[in-house]
Amino acid sequence: MCKLLLIALAIILFTGCNEPIKTPQTQTITKTAVNTEQTSTKNSAVNIEETQALVLLSGLPTLGTTDSIAIIEMDPESANFGKILYDYPLPKLDAPMHHLYYSPNGRLYATGLGSQCSLAEISLVRNAMAEPIINKFDCLNTNGQNVGEDIMWHSVNGELYMFVTFMGGSDLTQLDTGTVGVFNPQTNEVIKIIEARKSQVAQGQPYIMFPHGISAYGDRMVVTSSTHPAIASEVGNTVTIIDLNTFEPIETIVIEDANPVGFPSSPVEVLFVRPSIVEGVEPAILVNTLFGFETWKIPYNEQTKIFSTPEKLYDGATAGTAVPLEFYGNEDELFISHGVPGIVKRYDLKQLPNLVSSGEDIKAESGAHHMIFYKSAAGRKLIAVQNNLLNLGDVKDNDPTDIDFIAKLNHHSLTVHDLVTGERLGEINFKEKYQKGIDNIEALFGSGFTHHH
Amino acid sequence: MKSAKVVGVLIPIFIASTIYYINNKKPATHLVEFTAPFVFGRFTVPQNNPLTQESVLLGRRLFYDPLLSSNNQVSCATCHKQPLAFTDGLKTSVGVSGKPLAFNSMSLVNLMWGPKHFFWNGRSPSLEDQAIQPIEHLDEMSRNIEDLLVDLNNDDTYRDLFKRAFGEVSAQGIAKALANFQRMLISSNSRYDQYIRGELTLSSIEEQGRKLFMAHPDTKVILRGGNCIDCHSQFLTGGFSTMFDGFSNNGLDDDQALQAGLFTLTNNEAHRGLFKAPTLRNIAVTAPYMHDGRFTTLEDVLAHYNGGIKRSKTLSPLIIEADNIPKTQKNHISLNLNDDEIIAIIAFLHTLTDKEFLTNPAFSNPFTEENNNG
Repeated sequence: MCKLLLIALAIILFTGCNEPIKTPQTQTITKTAVNTEQTSTKNSAVNIEETQALVLLSGLPTLGTTDSIAIIEMDPESANFGKILYDYPLPKLDAPMHHLYYSPNGRLYATGLGSQCSLAEISLVRNAMAEPIINKFDCLNTNGQNVGEDIMWHSVNGELYMFVTFMGGSDLTQLDTGTVGVFNPQTNEVIKIIEARKSQVAQGQPYIMFPHGISAYGDRMVVTSSTHPAIASEVGNTVTIIDLNTFEPIETIVIEDANPVGFPSSPVEVLFVRPSIVEGVEPAILVNTLFGFETWKIPYNEQTKIFSTPEKLYDGATAGTAVPLEFYGNEDELFISHGVPGIVKRYDLKQLPNLVSSGEDIKAESGAHHMIFYKSAAGRKLIAVQNNLLNLGDVKDNDPTDIDFIAKLNHHSLTVHDLVTGERLGEINFKEKYQKGIDNIEALFGSGFTHHH
Repeated sequence: MKSAKVVGVLIPIFIASTIYYINNKKPATHLVEFTAPFVFGRFTVPQNNPLTQESVLLGRRLFYDPLLSSNNQVSCATCHKQPLAFTDGLKTSVGVSGKPLAFNSMSLVNLMWGPKHFFWNGRSPSLEDQAIQPIEHLDEMSRNIEDLLVDLNNDDTYRDLFKRAFGEVSAQGIAKALANFQRMLISSNSRYDQYIRGELTLSSIEEQGRKLFMAHPDTKVILRGGNCIDCHSQFLTGGFSTMFDGFSNNGLDDDQALQAGLFTLTNNEAHRGLFKAPTLRNIAVTAPYMHDGRFTTLEDVLAHYNGGIKRSKTLSPLIIEADNIPKTQKNHISLNLNDDEIIAIIAFLHTLTDKEFLTNPAFSNPFTEENNNG
């Protein structure tokens, strides 16, 4: 909660000096009536599910709604666009579920921002009408880890593991107990909890503060230290390298330059650019900094296993953007979302690890965050952007919608754009339409790209 | 007087319409309820043949009844035995004529997913169409449908089952019921299914086989692969739903011996020698293998892909290209797997056996059940 106030303050400080960028508005969909007969006919004709997505939705207590996982139609050319096709109510938890992930074997997982359910597996099946439904939601044993963020499946010496970052780690009341969980990807059992508390390691030794972003290449993993999920004053400015042969942290690298809003840089998401993403690429880590508003590159020499001095590739403070968040990609481009002013920047994948623009920004909405790539039923290439940072408010915040205290970063919407031109084709505002907030989106059949939001 | 006349006319009309209504009213049916793995993908059921409990019950009885053959000795189950994943263990099946048929009996499993083209050569567009063909085929069951309808109408049990499922005995009802029983042959509890659900861990040799199964070999990055998934991506279900995806020439014959295959359906020379890539579910119990049952064991099958491929004009390019060592001999096509890798792939194929499916009473012979119950 305090972290959010901090973010809010930072955004207000930053955006107060900038004119909001005007974007062409697409009318929020209001059509709800559905011709079920027509739907049924279409179902039998084509696989309509390729335009469907899973979304994590947060109930807004003062609006009388509750948390759920929904399947939604995302084809802007469909009469059902924006319609919730299926809604699975989640149990009452101390914080919203945050991210959805498919494992390499197609199992569905979610991380959660609280203590009661920081990691869960969701069982997706089909009923006799061929409709996807959820028949089980299991909160997993994490040995008491709090505030799950990102998941990555990665093979080390021929063995596959599931890695999860826990920003709150083992004790939310402490300043530096963030952890990385190593799980058996078959049984979901904890293999190891990687912890390196700054207050306990010797001076100059590697440490992990509040791990959020995660990425890996070969036997090297990188996690960020962004912000403490409960203690407002604690903001990180480092990434930590973990040796996957031993699961031990081996190096902590400071990622910081100017502090445009007076706080540490808060590295958030990372991407280890590697040959499986770009053939022949020289590996490097890309890092987005939440409060630095920057994107950094850390070159990596695969032979010597040495990480070089970080280089700043992009400076949002001068470019008029803030809160860079996610790395996503397809076969040709890398996409980075910027919560302020709510855009997605696009880069030539082949030019990585350098950021060479491949086209105009996609103008989404404030809080531009997660995204999916898919095709409409007619074959048009699309990108959908979730425009919402976090839904962590509650009644105590004395706000009628519970979550608008970070209004500048919570637009509560998904916007759908033509992937080639960036043209906005549709918008679904969940607060207006369903009285809920949106936390995450994942294509029903997965995103098809190695990302680690 | 006038009123009495009117009543006299109305009463017979009322009685007649009531009788007509009773005889022709649509039976009250109940949809089957089940869940299936999401990873199987979306399935479709024809709108004119909803998956009702009544049609499945009727279909199961028809499937096991030799009444459907001219000599009253051959049923669908003669060539599709449950313990063999609904195959018959023969090189090619034998029906009422006693002559070996042209094709090896295909396994019946997870048929709701995908297929738009049934049989090895894709000659049938639907399960309903497919269900009738063997009944009428002179070498298979050789049954005259009109005669069969008479016999079914004379059987109280069938008359009742048809009435409940479709209202009356009909050829269309036979096809629909058989199709729906086959749709319910759902298998989702093999060791591999359990692995996918996280309920067990594969042994190291099974896991090695799984990785080889899933990989297309790439010598540039030293990735070894069995190349299986290239043609068998729908290996857990009944096949593909897109056009002729899933039909492939896997190098069984050279140009001189190339059999018609999909060409039978399309008259397209590019389709000569292409046969359906079958499900691999329960493959360990469905020997012999290939459309003509030419391979007795899985070892024979692997040996074929590991050096026995015959080149022809329609041979799959995925097979030509796949090799675990850099290509040196232009005309020699082989995966070049080593013995351990072959053993591993076969070990993985055994994880696809669903013992629960092979013994599920819901799919078994209802006549045996009736006899046992006295």
